[in-house]
Amino acid sequence: MSPCGGRKLSSAAPEPPAPGSPLGWLKDRLGFEALAHLAEKKEVPIQRFSLFYYLGGMALFLFLVQAATGILLLLYYRPSAAEAFESVQYIMAEVPFGWLIRSIHSWGANLFVGVVVLHMVSVFFLKAYRAPRELTWISGVLLLFLALGFGFSGYLLPWNTLAFFATKVGTDVPAQLPVVGALLSRILRGGSDVTGATLSRFYGIHVAILPATATALLAVHLVLVQQKGMSVPPSVEKRPYRTMKFVPDFLLRDMVGWLVAVGVLAALAAFFPWELGVKADPFSPAPAGIRPEWYFLSMFQALKYLPAEIGGVPGEMIGVLAFGALGAGLVLVPLLDRKASRGEPSPWWNRLAAAALAGALVLTLLALRPPPGVAP
Amino acid sequence: MRRALLAAEALVAAAALSRADGGAPPAATPAATAPVSIGCVTCHLALDDARVSPPARLFSEDVHARANLTCASCHGGDPRTEDMDAAHDAKRGFRGKPAPRDVPAICGGCHGDPAFMKRFDPSLRVDQLSEYRTSGHGKALARGDESVATCASCHGAHGILRVKDSRSPVFPARIAQTCNRCHGDAALMSAHELPSDVYARYAKSVHFEAMTKKGDLSSPTCNSCHGNHGAAPPQVASVAHVCGTCHAVFAEQFAASPHGKAFEDLGLPGCVTCHENHEIVHPTDAFLATGPDGKCGTCHDKDSEGARAAAAMYQDITTLKNATDEAKAALRREAEAGMLVTRAQFDLSRADEALTRARADVHRFHPYAVQQTVAGGLTIARTAKAEAVRLGKERAFRRQGLLVSLGLIGVSIAALLVRIRDLDGRRRRP
Repeated sequence: MSPCGGRKLSSAAPEPPAPGSPLGWLKDRLGFEALAHLAEKKEVPIQRFSLFYYLGGMALFLFLVQAATGILLLLYYRPSAAEAFESVQYIMAEVPFGWLIRSIHSWGANLFVGVVVLHMVSVFFLKAYRAPRELTWISGVLLLFLALGFGFSGYLLPWNTLAFFATKVGTDVPAQLPVVGALLSRILRGGSDVTGATLSRFYGIHVAILPATATALLAVHLVLVQQKGMSVPPSVEKRPYRTMKFVPDFLLRDMVGWLVAVGVLAALAAFFPWELGVKADPFSPAPAGIRPEWYFLSMFQALKYLPAEIGGVPGEMIGVLAFGALGAGLVLVPLLDRKASRGEPSPWWNRLAAAALAGALVLTLLALRPPPGVAP
Repeated sequence: MRRALLAAEALVAAAALSRADGGAPPAATPAATAPVSIGCVTCHLALDDARVSPPARLFSEDVHARANLTCASCHGGDPRTEDMDAAHDAKRGFRGKPAPRDVPAICGGCHGDPAFMKRFDPSLRVDQLSEYRTSGHGKALARGDESVATCASCHGAHGILRVKDSRSPVFPARIAQTCNRCHGDAALMSAHELPSDVYARYAKSVHFEAMTKKGDLSSPTCNSCHGNHGAAPPQVASVAHVCGTCHAVFAEQFAASPHGKAFEDLGLPGCVTCHENHEIVHPTDAFLATGPDGKCGTCHDKDSEGARAAAAMYQDITTLKNATDEAKAALRREAEAGMLVTRAQFDLSRADEALTRARADVHRFHPYAVQQTVAGGLTIARTAKAEAVRLGKERAFRRQGLLVSLGLIGVSIAALLVRIRDLDGRRRRP
């Protein structure tokens, strides 16, 4: 760790790999000096908000966990209405450690979305989206949307009752959009209703389209992070601060967090294996208390409170358009918050974001209440 | 206005009058154009008399009014005139309020005529009158006893509704109460030497519970066993057949069992001997035991072959029930701990089926039959229990594995922290 000094202080030089060591051998043959140079050069600011820097690495680690466990699940999963549930049942009951892989994948999905949301919130309040990191923010928000897409598409894949009806409700939402809504919902479902065709479609989206898109976008995001370096909050950057080497100082600390995450995931999988529920029956009535995953609950609850019509326009349509506008606003925050771009404080943006977060939290808690007549 | 209405009714009434003597059915006009018996109803309502006005009010909803029959169809008279005496003139067929003894014939005049009834509903039965004459009620009436039930006693006189109308007194869920209007009358029943607590006993039965609490309209009520128009108590020999209408398997088993012939020889009513007739409570395995609920001991001596057979069947069924309950509880514990037990629970449901079959097999009254069924169920229940035990071990293995993993993770974290501290220390040194 480098001592305090100027505005940005120098750090200790890394030790070169010993001649004949495995690292030196690989360097000779693969020629990744440029990468090694980048790693050696990369520094992480040390300031009172440094803890939030670890959220990005944690999100990346959980993404890799999802990819690894997802690939293992693919070996046994069968994406058809007739076999999906049974194949997941087989994974849980018969495949050695299948229960562990599936539970880690399901719990990991939730932790991943949670960490990505926390990462975005911290970046927002630390004003890390200000120039010149606008594109880093935009790619990050798009990655969050992709994470939500992963969650939504993956939820249906076990083909159980809750997932089936939650997907019915979820795929009804885009249908509220004017002009293109019905077509969009039809494309999403692969027909007029949620069927085996929807399952095949969601499977394709979940294991091919979203991973390919997310990988490309993640690469852009990481390149931008490397190019622009780690952001320092405006309140900190005016004073001198220390830095630490990314390799090995920051990376070792990152690894501590990753190991903790692995421990948490293993404990959750061992003590609370992810439920499989009952196989979906399209002809049965929807059970009481159907609701989506926690990260969609605030939107789900907000739509419930909207009146049937607002000024002659269907209330749900207005709600869906409002969510679309909020999403677009979130993407464009760096361009809208001019003060932050100039390095000036923008308290109104902070207040707006705090109010939006509080609102989402309240709506989520309201949605978590059991419906009348249903045991909690 | 009143004249116009009377004139309109006259066309209908004229046809109705022609056969309103109970000998043949009256005519009816098509529903779309037909007025109801406006002449009679208009006056009887206007009179606002507690004796004659309520029937006029009720008649508007009567199924016969909807089929365009009129008051005169049953009561005779001439509704075309405003003159009360002329309208009620016996020469014009007026019979007033029919005496109970006349009611079956009046109703049967139409309801016994297939050609006439087909005009309204081809699926309606037309044997009610002939059935009624075979019933306890009908026979008593023929003997001159007018205290017995006739058509109107059950169906009502003026607000007659279709049987499938839930407001009808003969709607399945209301029949028992309707019968109880007379059969719960202690004075009336004592005159006929009949018990008056039948409804109170029926209200404790599984059939009443199914009908009233579960809303199962197919559950038996009075007429299911006694008949409706031909209502009579089932004879001893026919009890098993009556119950067997629904409980076909039990009836077949009972008939083929040693008890079938023995009961017949002893003049015992089949099912009723153990299950009662009206107060048919939930049968329990204790029926086979020697306790206060035991039924077998009523006839079989303690050390007899029959008592030993009952004890063996009780033992077998109890063993299967306990094994199934234990397996269920074990699987439930594993499910609550997060283990996947759906397949094992599904398999165990076949043990439940075996238990149900074993209880049915009791009606064969042969321990071997019960034993065979129980053996199959026990194998299933024990397999499910073994699966629960395996899942418990798997759960323990997972937790042990977690402990080992957390230990390794903890060691790795400690090593990393030591390395970080070492690096930080080295860099702090000048």
